[in-house]
Amino acid sequence: MAAPAERQVRISRVAGRYLVFDIDDVVHIRRHYGICAVLTGTMPQNPTQNLFLGLPIELHAEEARLLVDKGAGYIADELTDHLSQLSVMDASTRKAYLQHLKQQRRNAQQVFDEEKAKVQAKHQGKRKAKPAAVTETTAAVTETEEDTSLFDTPKPPSTTLTTTTPKEPSLPGVTPTTSAPLIPSPTPPSPAVGIPRPANYPLYNYLNARGYYTTPGLRFGGDYSVYPGDPFRYHAHYLANSYGWDVEVAMLDLVASGRLGTAVKKSFLFGAEKPVEEGSGADGGGEGGGGGEVRVFCIEWAGM
Amino acid sequence: MASLDHIEALTKVVLNNLEYQHDWTRIHQHTQDTLPRSLIYGLPPKRLYVHPDEQIDIIKAEKELGERIPQEPEVEWVLPLHLSEKWSPAQFAAVFDAIEAIPPGGADLEPTEEDGSEEEWRLWRGSKRGKRILLATVQDDSTVTYYWIFDGLVKPRQN
Repeated sequence: MAAPAERQVRISRVAGRYLVFDIDDVVHIRRHYGICAVLTGTMPQNPTQNLFLGLPIELHAEEARLLVDKGAGYIADELTDHLSQLSVMDASTRKAYLQHLKQQRRNAQQVFDEEKAKVQAKHQGKRKAKPAAVTETTAAVTETEEDTSLFDTPKPPSTTLTTTTPKEPSLPGVTPTTSAPLIPSPTPPSPAVGIPRPANYPLYNYLNARGYYTTPGLRFGGDYSVYPGDPFRYHAHYLANSYGWDVEVAMLDLVASGRLGTAVKKSFLFGAEKPVEEGSGADGGGEGGGGGEVRVFCIEWAGM
Repeated sequence: MASLDHIEALTKVVLNNLEYQHDWTRIHQHTQDTLPRSLIYGLPPKRLYVHPDEQIDIIKAEKELGERIPQEPEVEWVLPLHLSEKWSPAQFAAVFDAIEAIPPGGADLEPTEEDGSEEEWRLWRGSKRGKRILLATVQDDSTVTYYWIFDGLVKPRQN
């Protein structure tokens, strides 16, 4: 997982969540940093959708922290970022943005027109095909059509519509879904936005440093499902939990997780970071990003 | 932590369970200053654990030899626990730090003098063997359930 150092992934912090909106960034962190994260985007028309989600991806706090620590990304607090960028804009940017909106509406109109033309072509094709097959019904249809036209009032609208069509057609309204065109070139904020070190970070870092991929582990009752490679290619090996070094864990929890893990052909992994001892001098390997050594243990049913 | 009497009783339950229910032999209680409580070690009637990579090595060797390689049991560590106990990662780490991978006398059972003792699949019983302990979890109804705990990342078996 050698990573080209140039790319800086923009991690947007929105309402305390860490999101990545750029598909190239998503590919980049998955390929070079072993971070899959979770697709969270739904379609605006279908906000209850929970399958086939799209961008943005949401990162765990520890994943975001890892990227920042490795110098591969930066956190952008989108609320303050947007406000500060919008307040310094001048008239020309405003004009350009309005122009952009108009272009989008034109594009939408074009799409609508094309759709309409397609549907019409389809219907005409059907009408041509019909008379050859069933002549009687078509006769009936034409009769009824004539009937209705007898009782109907004459139709002026069709003619008036064509005459009153304005020179510039009224374009459909468009709701912008991103602010990307408004703030064209996002830059890292200065000073850099910090990110607190989550409690799970040492274990996460330990696994990531060994080439393991993680996905959220809730479906197996843990913090992570741990894969020996990309989850597209491998089954998970472990379900992992992170504990504090001196946190006492009930044996029943260990036994239950161990049993669950064995039942799904995984091993239950738990790990903790050993606090750095006073006066030890060494940085304890620096595995946890300034913390102490990480110890992990695996539990499996013994089969006896 | 529980009182000494309790731990002694616990150890006894596990000792008896291993001997009479699971037919273990050469069972010993192991006491050490650096250990928070006594461990047990003994020899199961058949081999209890084969690492998945070792299994691959064995299958390869069997294919070459054209015959099955008998798997002799290995001496294993056992840690008696009660289900209502609570253990921290620090305590597990202390136990693992205090023990050797192979229990006392365990290496004597290995036929090291044979030809080809350096074969890949044999190393798993010696130098490649990681630290592992059987957690003997005792419940109030004296049911004992056994779980492996491994030191470090050990991939799951293909069962």
